[in-house]
Amino acid sequence: MRLSTRKLLDRSFTGVGLFSILLMGLALLFILGPIFSKGVGALVFRQTVEHRRFLLDKLQRGSPKNLADEVRQVQEARQPVYADIAALDDKITSGPRAERRQYRQYQEPLNELKKLVRELLGPLPGESVPLITTEQYGQTRWDRAEKKAQQILFIEEYDYSDPTKMGVRILKPRVEQFRGTPVEPLFDYLNQHLEEMLRPRWTFYAGFLFDMPFDSYMLGGIWPSILGTFYLTLGAMLLAAPLGIVAAVYFVEYGDENFLSSQLFSLIPRGKSTPESSDSLRDRAFKIAVQAERNMVSMLRICVSTLAGVPSIVFGLFGLAFLIQTIHLSETKSVLAGSATLALLILPTIIRASEEAIRSVPHSYREAAVGLGAGKWRTIWTVILPAALPGILTGTIISMGRAAGETAPIIFTAAVSLGTPLSPLQALSQPTPALPWSIYVLSTEHAALDQIRHVQYGMVFVLILLVLGLNFTAILLRARIARKLRG
Amino acid sequence: MKDANRKNPESALMMGEGASHMKRLGALAGHGVLLSVTSLSAVAVLFIFYFVFRDALPFFKEAGRLSEFFTGVNWYPSAREPHFGSLPIILGSVLVTVGAILFSAPLGLAAALCLSDVLSFSTRQIVKPIIEMLAAIPSVAYGFFALVVMAPLFQNEGGKILAGFCSLICFPLLFLLVMVLGDLLSTWIQRDRIRLLTRIILSSGIGIPGLVALGVLVHRISQIQISSGTNALNASIILGIMALPTIVSVSEDALSAVGRDLREGSYAMGATRVETLFKVIVPAAGSGILAAVLLGLMRAVGETMVVWMAAGNAAHIPQPWYNLLEPVRTLTATIAGDMGETEIGSAHYHLLFAMGLLLLSFSFLSNLVSEWAVRRSKAKSA
Repeated sequence: MRLSTRKLLDRSFTGVGLFSILLMGLALLFILGPIFSKGVGALVFRQTVEHRRFLLDKLQRGSPKNLADEVRQVQEARQPVYADIAALDDKITSGPRAERRQYRQYQEPLNELKKLVRELLGPLPGESVPLITTEQYGQTRWDRAEKKAQQILFIEEYDYSDPTKMGVRILKPRVEQFRGTPVEPLFDYLNQHLEEMLRPRWTFYAGFLFDMPFDSYMLGGIWPSILGTFYLTLGAMLLAAPLGIVAAVYFVEYGDENFLSSQLFSLIPRGKSTPESSDSLRDRAFKIAVQAERNMVSMLRICVSTLAGVPSIVFGLFGLAFLIQTIHLSETKSVLAGSATLALLILPTIIRASEEAIRSVPHSYREAAVGLGAGKWRTIWTVILPAALPGILTGTIISMGRAAGETAPIIFTAAVSLGTPLSPLQALSQPTPALPWSIYVLSTEHAALDQIRHVQYGMVFVLILLVLGLNFTAILLRARIARKLRG
Repeated sequence: MKDANRKNPESALMMGEGASHMKRLGALAGHGVLLSVTSLSAVAVLFIFYFVFRDALPFFKEAGRLSEFFTGVNWYPSAREPHFGSLPIILGSVLVTVGAILFSAPLGLAAALCLSDVLSFSTRQIVKPIIEMLAAIPSVAYGFFALVVMAPLFQNEGGKILAGFCSLICFPLLFLLVMVLGDLLSTWIQRDRIRLLTRIILSSGIGIPGLVALGVLVHRISQIQISSGTNALNASIILGIMALPTIVSVSEDALSAVGRDLREGSYAMGATRVETLFKVIVPAAGSGILAAVLLGLMRAVGETMVVWMAAGNAAHIPQPWYNLLEPVRTLTATIAGDMGETEIGSAHYHLLFAMGLLLLSFSFLSNLVSEWAVRRSKAKSA
């Protein structure tokens, strides 16, 4: 091959490498971009007067006097809409007979219109207060309200006339249905005065994090899920961290050094008279013991790495079959069972991180401790563990992030789609909603998927922020403690 | 001190010969506690195997179930006469995983090579957090993204997106192929001017038909209509992205474990960077790269939420069987989705555990292989 071709190949490979790295960055942006930008919308959005009404009624937040003023103004602005609808209603139900017959054809479209107006502005005047919370209020978010207004103004239809292609969306003005009726001016009015009817205002709704959900997340916040995730993560860490750190200490400090066999054999006195035969027997036994211990330690290592490779859903199966159905840790799903399952999942991560941290403690520390007369235990407690702490903490916090985001292990062991916040004691025996599971339920099984997109995005946003925040904390912590130890 | 231990294992004792028996016994007891706590986490693995196996076994007790499980194509687990043909589901898992690896292994390897041999230290410090963030994003967030953002995109603009990616990959490849072939085929000619002429003729002779063929192919692809945005391809791409961090970081470790001396030797022989990488470094780090791909594979096979949300959950074999554009159902998604609907102790319930056992065995085997590969690469580079 000529040199120029070789150089071309070389450069193009560099290009491929750079491209793949660029692609990873783009993938990250492409994934986080929509989630962040739309997720913020769950917290910061233009709330309408209906949202303020909801907050005051259900959560006693806001000033009643201001709201009363506002509601009065809003009602004034809405009056023409209600009046138009009432006028047509009158003509259909109580006009002269000929007129009633003439207007009967408007019954169906009017009912449809009333339903939509109810969804936009809340119950019509004179109607009884609905039982379902969501139906007591109109649209609480301005972006949803605009969509709903669009639905009132236009009828959405699909054109399937061309069978080779997918249906084409057509918007037909709804006003066509009501030509020549008292409702006709409603549409123009609605289009122009929507803002006065709902009075949107930018707001930061922190309650999204700390309020109870109403009507399966149609209104309110996501507090039970956040609390559930908090319990599960904390429980998993409390269970896994001690076990993982002890195992790491064992692997580093004892696993490599044939500790067990040498201790055992030091208890057997060496033959004083040194007849060659007996001592060599002892030596041979010692060698076998050392080999056996080595095998045992490497078996343990293989077990840990196998545990790291077990698919997360299998952890869920195990939690169901063992924790709940065999040893009855709790009667049904519970936070405790879920935490235990998650603890198993993150155990290998903690062991590996801690092992690495302990291994990276300089050997001179150990020598100094031994030189000062400290025993093995004391060396580990007072010298090695404190020095390895930053690394151990980092590993533990990162695996907490992993536990917070895992869904598959908690499906059968801890998570329910709806529930109340639990007290720590209840957490031992009761299931809880948790962020990852709620995201799944809301984005696939919820009855009104499209209407709660902002809640779905908000939840994903909170979860990612939580996980990335934990990772970030871990990195900061490591840097800080490392600086402290050095200084 | 460590080296001294190696030579005479018995001197590992920190206590002198004169220490009392009581003290030794205490150390032993402490050691026993540590050992038992450590083996607790190892025992967990055995427990997982035992309990999944125990609940999977009753499914196979009935005659013919084993062959139905692996070869049957009818999946009606809750019918009055239930059929448990899981071949479509196993195939779904394989399809999605292979798709993910086909996408992420070359990309990951290229990125790892770039990280270990091309980029400067400061650039690497920027790239590392990107990889860590990709690894940290929870799977349900990936699933949500696949379902809410990717699926509509595929459904509406699927053909164009596919065609775009195809041309992005194929046109540069064609260009390179033409250049290299033209060069290789004309080397036997001695005289410079004739050789150049031959090269140009050969290159255009291969290149122009190639271009036309590619153009037709891309046009064909852009006409494809994807009927469902939640399909195997969607899940594969997301799984590939999820497997990337594992593949990149493990294979980068393997690549940097190959010493400087090999690289410098190769450069001294006059090799270019890409020749050094592919003829020296990659073969030397081969087993480490194998381990990386296997670990990525395990991540993709065991992933639940993404495939559950974005693969479509249709338990039938795609037509033709390798068609990534059709919805599929995977083992993990079946376990997650069906467990809530089955009666505990029914055949369906045990079947789900059998699927879990299949997953578990697969991940155990590939884990062993990757362990072995890592150990081998360490032994080689040491």
